[in-house]
Formats: sequence, C-alpha cells, structure tokens
Amino acid sequence: MSTDHGDRAEADADADAGAEAVRPGLIGRALPRVHDARMLRGHGRYADDLDDGTALHAAVVRSPVPHGRVTRFDGTAAREGGAALVLGPDEIARHADPLPTVWRLPGQHQRDIEVATRTVRYVGQPLGLVVAASRAAAEDAAERVELSIDPLPPVVGVDAALAPGAPLLYPEAGTNVAGEVRFGDPADEIERAMAAAPHVVTRELTVQRVNAASMEPRGLLAEWIPHTERLTVWSSTQVPHPVRHGLATALRLRADQIQVLVPDLGGAFGSKTTLYVDEALVCLAARLLGGRVAWTEDRTEALTATYQGRGQTATARLALGHDGRFLALDAHVRGDLGAFSTQGGSGPFQITGQSLEGPYKLPLAGATVTCVHTNAAPTGAYRGYGMQESTWIRERLIAEAARELGLDADELRLRNLIAAEEMPYTVRTHMTYDTGDYPATFRAAADAVAEAPRERTGRVRRGVATVPSVEITGYGPTALLEMTGLEASGWESGRIRVNQDGTVTVFAGAVSMGQGIETTLTQIVADRLGVPMSLVAVRLGDTEATPHSEYSSQASRSLVLSGSALLRAGERLRERMDALAAAFLETTPEDVRLEELTFRADKTDRTATWREIAHRGWLGWGRPEHDRIQLEETVDFDPPDVTYAHASHAAAVAVDLDTGAVTVEGYWAVHDSGVLVNPLIAEGQTAGAVAQGLGLALLEEAAYDPVTARPLAASFWDYAIPAPPDVPEIRVSHTETPTPHNPGGFKGLGEGGTLPTAAAVVNAVADAVPEIAARLDRTPLTPYRVWTLLRDAGLADEGQEGTGERS
Amino acid sequence: MTGAPERTVSLTVNGTARAARTEVRTLLSDFLRHTLGLTGTHVGCEEGVCGSCTVLLDGEPVRACLMLAVQAEGRRVETVEGLAQNGELTALQRAFMSEHGLQCGFCTPGILMSLTAAERDGLPEEETATHVLAGHRCRCTGYNGIRAALTRSREGGSDEH
Repeated sequence: MSTDHGDRAEADADADAGAEAVRPGLIGRALPRVHDARMLRGHGRYADDLDDGTALHAAVVRSPVPHGRVTRFDGTAAREGGAALVLGPDEIARHADPLPTVWRLPGQHQRDIEVATRTVRYVGQPLGLVVAASRAAAEDAAERVELSIDPLPPVVGVDAALAPGAPLLYPEAGTNVAGEVRFGDPADEIERAMAAAPHVVTRELTVQRVNAASMEPRGLLAEWIPHTERLTVWSSTQVPHPVRHGLATALRLRADQIQVLVPDLGGAFGSKTTLYVDEALVCLAARLLGGRVAWTEDRTEALTATYQGRGQTATARLALGHDGRFLALDAHVRGDLGAFSTQGGSGPFQITGQSLEGPYKLPLAGATVTCVHTNAAPTGAYRGYGMQESTWIRERLIAEAARELGLDADELRLRNLIAAEEMPYTVRTHMTYDTGDYPATFRAAADAVAEAPRERTGRVRRGVATVPSVEITGYGPTALLEMTGLEASGWESGRIRVNQDGTVTVFAGAVSMGQGIETTLTQIVADRLGVPMSLVAVRLGDTEATPHSEYSSQASRSLVLSGSALLRAGERLRERMDALAAAFLETTPEDVRLEELTFRADKTDRTATWREIAHRGWLGWGRPEHDRIQLEETVDFDPPDVTYAHASHAAAVAVDLDTGAVTVEGYWAVHDSGVLVNPLIAEGQTAGAVAQGLGLALLEEAAYDPVTARPLAASFWDYAIPAPPDVPEIRVSHTETPTPHNPGGFKGLGEGGTLPTAAAVVNAVADAVPEIAARLDRTPLTPYRVWTLLRDAGLADEGQEGTGERS
Repeated sequence: MTGAPERTVSLTVNGTARAARTEVRTLLSDFLRHTLGLTGTHVGCEEGVCGSCTVLLDGEPVRACLMLAVQAEGRRVETVEGLAQNGELTALQRAFMSEHGLQCGFCTPGILMSLTAAERDGLPEEETATHVLAGHRCRCTGYNGIRAALTRSREGGSDEH
C-alpha cells in the first residue's frame, strides 16, 4: 500500500515536525504518524471501499444449527430470484480442496479444514455462498436457499465435552479431545513436590471466549480475469502470503496466479491471521463467474463466525515454602478449540502452558494442555495469545496464596521475581529470557497505585493490585518454529530501494493494521540513511511486491523483525551511497558527509546532491566491475532467539456492594519493550491493549447457550466492547532495556498491554472485597456475577452489614 | 429481490447538491458510500451502537446506518470528507494527529463528526468528553489519545507533541 506524499508533507508541517525530521536520531522520537492526515480526511481505503460498482456481491449461507448433517442444500429458488451464482457443498467440493493447517497438536487427527461442509459443528459455519448484483440482493437470495439438516446433539464448553457419554463432534476419533501436550517438568516430579510442600493453593480458573471485534469486520474483493487466468484479491488480512498459499491450495491454482493485496485495515487483533473458509468461497465465486466479487461480513457474522479468542479452564496449583518462596507451579489447561482446529489451532493454549511461569523463579513448573472440540465457533489468535491466560492463572494463584498465608501480595511477588542480574534466565519450559529488570517495573507500578484509596468499609469498597508479566515477542527464530512443529518460517525480509530521483521505497513483510508500522519503519530507514522521512515511502501487503512472509503482522513481531532487517539494509545502502558519492566527488568514503541531502567532500571541496548520486547510481557510469548494480539492498533477518518484553500493571477499583458494579478508577502500565522507535505509538499501543484487557476483565463474553449451543452475543448490543465511560485514563510509562537479539535492541509491544489487565483488575476486586476473593475464578466480572458472589457472602443486602456507610 | 422500488434522492452533501436513484430500502450510510462514493463514512455494526457511520444531518449528528437514504431527501448532510476546508485540516483533525487519537482510523470519521458538532454547538469540553464521546466505540486507542485530542483542539493549538 502506498502512502500519500501530499498528506504526509502536510502532516509534518501541521505538527511542526518537518524541520526536525531531517536531523539524525529519528529512532526514539514521538512523531505523528505518516498516514494520519489521509485517514482524518476520510481517504482511508478499506476493503469495503474498493468496489467501483463493477463487482457482484456475495452473501454467505451459514448453518442455523450447532450440530447436524446437511441432507439438502437447494439453491433453485435463489437462482430463480436472480442470483448470479449459488454454491452449495456439492458444487464447492467439485471445485475446491480443504485448507491446510499449520500447527497441529500431538495426536491431532484433523489435518485440514473442510471447505465443502456436510456436517455442521457451529451456528454460523459457512455452508455455501450466494452472489447477486448487490449485497442486499445477495442477502435476499441467500434467504431463499433451502436447507435440510439432520440435527445432532450439541456440546457446549470443555467440561461438557470431556464428560463421559458426551456427544462426539468427530465420532471416528472416539473422543472430543483433539490432542494433548506437556510443557516443563514431568507431572510426577511436580506431584512429589506438591505433596511435600508446606502450602499449596489450588484453583479452577477460567478465561471466557471473547471476540477480537475489530471495528472493521472481515472483507475482501476478489477478481478473476479469465483471459490471463489470474486471481487478484484485496483482503482485510494480517497475512497476505499465507492467504495466497491457502487460496492456491483450496482453488487448485499456482501460487503465482494469485496476487493478494492488503488495503487499509480497520483493526485485526489476531482475528485476521488466517484464510477463512468463507473468504476462500468468495474467491472461488469470482473464479467461476470470471469477474469481481465483493464481500464484507456484518457484525453478527463478525461476532459469531469469525474465529474467537481465549476460552479455557485450568486446574492450577502453586506450592510455597514457609518463607514464601515458590516451590512448584502446575496447570492442567483445557482449551476450547470449538468446531475444528483452525490453521494455528491449539497455538494459544500451547502458549499458555509454555509461558506459565512468567517473571518468577520456580524450581519446578509444568503444564499439560488438553484441547477439546465443542459446538461453538473455532478459536484462534487474539491479542495476548495464551499469555493473558497464563498471567491470569499465575497471578490469581499468587494473590490467593498471599491472602491465605496472610502475606503482603507485593512482597510475595518481589521475593520470587527474577532479578535483573540473573539474566539471561532459563525457565522450566526452556525459554531463556534475554534482559529486563522485572522488580524495577513492578516497584514502579506498585508505587504508582500506592496512593489510591483502599476502603473495606461502607457500601462502596476500594482495592488495588499490581501484576507483572513477561511477553514472548518478535516471534520467532525459524528453528524454534521447526522445533515446535509450527509449519511456518519466522524470518522477515526488508528491502530498500533508492530510486533514480533519490526517493526511497521500502518493502517489508509486515502489514499495517493500525499499529503505525509504516511510520516506525519510515523512522528506522530515514534514520539509517540520514534522509528526511518525507523522502521515504513504505510499501506493505502485496504478494507481488513485498517480501515473502509467513507470519507478517502478528505475535508482536512487525517492528522487531521487519525493523531489524530494514535497519541493516539501511546501513548497507547508506554505505553504498557514500561510496558512490565519494567516487563522483573524487575522494574517499570517509571524507564524505551527508547533510541536508547534500554530500560534501572536505578534501576536494565538492558537493553533490543525494538525488544526483542516486541518479548516477542507476546510470552505472564508471561503476567498478565488482560493485553491485541495483541501488537497493535486501536483508533477511532470522532472529537468534525470541525476545521477551515485560511489564507491570496496577489497578485501583471500586466495587459497589449494592449493584455488583466494578469501576476501574485508576490504571497504570509500566512497560519495557526494549528500544522504542516511536514513544507516542508505543503509548497508544499499550493503552489500547489495556482497554481490550479491561473489556475481557469486566464486559465481554462470547457466550453460548449451554443447552441449545446458540451464540448469545450476536450484536454489539449483546457483546459489550469498552465504551469511553468504561475506560479511565490509562497512565503508560516505558523503561528501555535493549535486547541483544537484534541490531536495534527492539522488543515487541503490540499485545503486551492485554496480559496483566484482567489479573490486575480482579486481584484489586479481591483486595477490596476479600470475602469473595476465593470465588473470583473467572472473567468477566459483570455486575451480575459480582453481585451473586456478594449475595452468597451476605454482603449484597445492606441490612445484613448494618454499619455500612453509603458513598 | 428484483423490482425493489426505487426513488431519486436529492440532498446537499458537503455543500454540493447531489441527486441519485436508489432503492428505497437503502440505508443512508450505504447511499453515501456506494452510490455517492463517499467511503469516508464507515459502517461498523449497522445497528446503531458503534457510531462509526455518524454524519451530520442539518448540523445534528445522526447514525447514517439507522436511517434510510430517502429520509435525507432535501436535507443537508455533512461527512468527514467535508471537514477540511481548502485542503486545510481542522484544528480537531490536527489534534487527532498530534495526540495519536487514531490507530486503525475506522471509527475516526464518526468521532470527528460528533466532536465537530459539539464544538459548533458550544458544548463544554467536559460534557463533550463524557456524553458525546460515550456514543462511540473505538477498539484501538483505549480513548486516551482521543480525549487528549479533544483537549488540545479546545485549547486551540496543534503544536508538536
């Protein structure tokens, strides 16, 4: 996607950054983003904005039942009503193959994702597609498709799915368990440690299913040109190359027959990290019709058919010594895969097990992760990816241990945190943390919340809590992905071209989805080349132009990996520009200085403009035989290891005993993501992630009726993402501990803000109302849930407490 | 689905008289986006919750997804594309840039329209932040940057951060 030069120049001028931007030292500057002006004018180009009136429109025929066999899909009435194309399972099966999965559990029988569906396993599962002249006409026609489905009994939730005699989603497997994997120390060793420990805290801890709920739903425009036999897809996706790979497989095409382009993305948060079946069907329709087909899901589809996040219950135990030292940590995580394993499938649940220990020293730790099929939408990546869940498990256990032992919770954490001088530190699950001062960020957050009120009398209680976290970022070394059986490469490539006119075009595998990556990459490249940012244009999301990337923008990696590759490429290209200038100015490269786009040679007292040297570089006149020809540099960067960001969050909450309402009155986030390229963007990413964490803590739940297995939150009226009144001012600060694993010292930060939020809020509620602490075992803490706990504890009725004072 | 009744809708959009034929069931949001090509107005939920589609109708903020295009007959509609005058961003737009008040930018046009109306109506900043902003959903920013942008625009400046 190209950026708009006119707007960018204005943006710089508006913010008075133009003069600043030519100076060196652009890394670490809180500069406004390069494409904001275009967005603010309403000139964003999102997937649903692209149709110029030439496209037909698709509507997806979805299963109305949670479990059953499709015996009839009759599109006759839809066709007679004017539909240009109706695709049912039989027709789809003739033209399309299943989609490949990339990360499978040991024992997982399901290797592919069905595109032609004859057994439905969740309400909203795509069964077919109808194409008509307009979206409204397509939706009308889709309603005329006649379906017959023989119902099968549904299963809701992991516990029901694991119960003896539960209906089976895949009877041929003989179980609803998709697979199981163990991380860390063997279970028997941990059992022995638990048995011998002076104190063990055991809890059953649940994180609900949630929706990513990006403001822009999924959507795409697909075009098949019969004469050239090429498919072009403009898709609202985080991963253009995997989408191309999936489409080539599903539609039986060569990869180079398909071009995937990414327009502006209206948020993604993990939900757009894979090719979906309905998206493949839209592309199939374009191919069969020999033209353009557009589709944008509506909010109901976004909430019920787009893959969901989280959804797990863990039985977790923490053993402590008399001195409060942690002796062992163990969890049995049961993850809800839903109807089938998505491409990444069990990934988030596996990462929960992998990341269980967080920032603490533990002599023994391990997790068993069991993944289960249920009749609900499949789960997949969502911001925080298993690490919000592990933070939740660990920090609830620690809070409960402190309460049971009568210890100060902050003191208990500080006693067990890994110290800065112990880095690098290898945890029991074999991850090696690179750098960071975990106690320092913890103290900073705890100090920030120290002044907040704590009130344990009256009808409004107040409490506080501080929670630390560690985040896997910059994922990851290709060898690590190979070792974990994740069928993808982890490297990134960055390419910089100095054009004939001196402008600089940058190509990277990252995708822009609101995280400001084109701005931070511009800062890195302009910094290394020594040119103003206005000279640089970043191009992302085009399988024909941008580097191959199998992970693109997910796993808090865009800046870490694309940025590292481009940083190196920028240095190399600057060296070549210096050498070209030196040759032209008849001096040595060491004698050449670049100032305000002019090369100056002190010895020969000559000058040449940047543009002139770029022009001469492409001319190649006087080029020594062994010099490289094209004025561009490509660097492939495969990181030597994962880099670990860390944070501590503090929350101050009020709990209304009359209503059960929890209000977050103060929130502080202290983060360390290594070297920051743009602190303004870093703060925005963190604050936004915290808000999503608050939603998970208090508001959001992709709930299913336990009997009918129908989704209960199918609109924004039922699915409450945080509104302005729900989010206090989030006070963000950053410390900077560089990583040694990449040249810029960068660590990732897109997801980190979601990790400690729910644990901090719920622990603060436990601090305010210790009478219900033991039962604070699941999110969200809706007023109803809290009030029920208060009632059971005899606190909900003012009369029972008597001396309470209303505030 | 064929033969859905149509009508010509005439209205003023961003100061220009426009007229176009459309099915009577067409939402104002779809009419603006797909019939008139003004795609700056975004559709986030089509059920009146998120506020992304907010436009000004005779100066009043309305959800363009909750009314039909035919209901805008003869009315004056303002969209995000009409905010900048002679290419100059408004102080509010500049403040959004300086304060990082947008990330993915999808909800931004609707918020800009509501905040613009509030400012024109002389609504105090505090009331705007609590009551007007409450009618919008942003999934990216946590509202930090949006509130800061509102404050900065009311202070009348848009200087470097």
